[in-house]
Amino acid sequence: MAAAGGTGTKTYSFKVVLLGEGCVGKTSLVLRYCENKFNDKHITTLQASFLTKKLNITGKRVNLAIWDTAGQERFHALGPIYYRDSNGAILVYDITDEDSFQKVKNWVKELRKMLGNEICLCIVGNKIDLDKDRHVSVEEAESYAESVGAKHYHTSAKLNKGIEELFLDLCKRMMETAQAEERLKGNGASQSASSRRGVQIVDDEPQATPAGGCCSSG
Amino acid sequence: MSQRTERRGIHVDQSDLLCKKGCGYYGNAAWQGLCSKCWREEYQRVRQKQIQDDWALAEKLQREEEAAYASSHGAQAQSHSQTAVPQLHPGHASLGAFSKFEEKKTNEKTRKVTTVKKFFSPSSRTPPKKDTQEGRTPSPSISRHASFETDQVSKEFVEFLKNLQKPGREIHKQCRAFIMNMSSKKELSADELSECVQDFYQNMADRLMSHFKGSSESVERVMDQVEKYIMTRLYKSVFCPESTDDERKDLATQKRIRALHWVTIQMLCVSMDEEIPEVSEDVVKAITDIIEMDSKRVPRDKLGCITRCSKHIFSAIRITRNEPASADDFLPALIYIVLKANPPRLQSNIQYITRFCNPSRLMTGEDGYYFTNLCCAVAFIEKLDAQSLNLSPEEFQRYMSGQASPRLHSSEGDWPQSGVTAANPVLAQLNHNLERLSLVSSRQQMLMEAAQSMQADLLSWPEGVQREVSGVLEKYPLQILPRTVSAMDANNADSDGPPPLLTAQVFAG
Repeated sequence: MAAAGGTGTKTYSFKVVLLGEGCVGKTSLVLRYCENKFNDKHITTLQASFLTKKLNITGKRVNLAIWDTAGQERFHALGPIYYRDSNGAILVYDITDEDSFQKVKNWVKELRKMLGNEICLCIVGNKIDLDKDRHVSVEEAESYAESVGAKHYHTSAKLNKGIEELFLDLCKRMMETAQAEERLKGNGASQSASSRRGVQIVDDEPQATPAGGCCSSG
Repeated sequence: MSQRTERRGIHVDQSDLLCKKGCGYYGNAAWQGLCSKCWREEYQRVRQKQIQDDWALAEKLQREEEAAYASSHGAQAQSHSQTAVPQLHPGHASLGAFSKFEEKKTNEKTRKVTTVKKFFSPSSRTPPKKDTQEGRTPSPSISRHASFETDQVSKEFVEFLKNLQKPGREIHKQCRAFIMNMSSKKELSADELSECVQDFYQNMADRLMSHFKGSSESVERVMDQVEKYIMTRLYKSVFCPESTDDERKDLATQKRIRALHWVTIQMLCVSMDEEIPEVSEDVVKAITDIIEMDSKRVPRDKLGCITRCSKHIFSAIRITRNEPASADDFLPALIYIVLKANPPRLQSNIQYITRFCNPSRLMTGEDGYYFTNLCCAVAFIEKLDAQSLNLSPEEFQRYMSGQASPRLHSSEGDWPQSGVTAANPVLAQLNHNLERLSLVSSRQQMLMEAAQSMQADLLSWPEGVQREVSGVLEKYPLQILPRTVSAMDANNADSDGPPPLLTAQVFAG
């Protein structure tokens, strides 16, 4: 699902899921990024659960779709439905809340188990404006991130710190992953066939055969 | 007589020369042995019938022609070799009329010997006509067996493709071939059918992509139309197919939602305040939209219903909380809406969309997000237990078995009409209706009583009047007095008529 478009002007479409406990500031984070507003009564969007952003990174067009997920514990089991087919995941915790960091660790384990290394992970410590109440140490968080192959960021939606960098970095990494995948697969057809949802079939060849049978014209 | 015929040398019986109607005039072989007058009468009648029949036939042909033309438009121009689509040409109608004319002529020839009566009997005429109809019935267009809706979609599709000209024909050809192909694969499982459709989408999208040179907007526009066309056609055979257990799942989900009727908005922690009129309006609209999903045929239209439903939920949350809704707010609200709506054939619809929707829409788009949330809501409802509602297992069990109702324990403020009747809004409504009914019935009883007393009054009234009248008559018996003329009247006695009319007078000056 990584790329769509002709060979000349390639447009990447990425799906990014936002995971994290409730109240860690997932919504504020995306609203700051997409609307550049924080706790504002003039926020135009009706909702902050699905937001899109168009980017241009080194001449390549990128359509970013950011999927917010329900963070309550009782919805934890629904995670796989949300993060299926996603290219990136942003795992948010509150630096003043040790529990929320624990949740992030659980998410990382689950994502790596379900999606392997195809998904780009970002671990985000939010609310750095409340540094005096910090309960998760910078060293611990960063070393953990490194150990699981994720990047770590410090952000503040309130002060608008670190958010642009976070999304820009993530996009670049997702583009690299997509390009590597393309090179691996060789041609464009099978690459787009891999984007097919629902029943995932690893081998692309058997799919091509019935397609010829169905649609070849007389 | 025989001498006369011999003398003339013509071996014709005299009776044969007379008009067959027996009017006494001579008949003519050219007029079926009738005299000119009788022939004109009969001919006129037959002709009238003939004209009507021809009209009916011509109209029918024209309709067929249009339908077939609409559906085979692209294919016909493109490939003459394609056997699946027999050719139709505009001359078809006139050809039919011509063959009829021929048939009429032969009929006339053979009927020279038969009686006039037989000539008019319907049996001799109908069979050949039927044949011509039947010969035409297995028309190439399968749309003839489909509903009005399908025809409408086909027409729109053709209209849309006309703008694309040559590639449009190619697209149409492929779609038709694909539908033909699919209709012959009825025995495939749902997943295999889905594979076929998805492969078709993929192929079509790839071809369009190379045709439009990477303009994904144009590709999407065409793909939407393609999806609409083929899925409207295939809907009946691939929606909730018998090979799957979709229907069983539908019923299970429906039962499950019914069993969870007691779940309150507070248990789900939904941030919607239904006390606010706008919010409750949005809730009703959201419920309507999600129920409407089942009535749509095209996966994209079904997704549209889900999206509209979601937008109403967002608006309700926005009004309640005065801030944009996050997923934390949205998902519980959607679950609440699904529980309230209990949409028909929910599982079948979800499966249908998953199997046959154009994947590019379902994966990254906004519609896809809402659809995913709906899937989450359904998954949550299926697995819902005491913990997920913050209840103790015993409480949950009691609510599920219907032994208790949570609203009895809820705080007074939540349910203004608290008390036993407020246990469930439906129950409250029911009680309210019962009260009204009993009120109405007591009123009706009162009305009946009043009517009866009025009837009694009416019955006794003529008697009373009669009595009064006879009483008065007895009291004042009729006396006839001699006529006396008063003095004043006497003065005017001679001018019996009305007073003289005023006449206009002309005054000089």
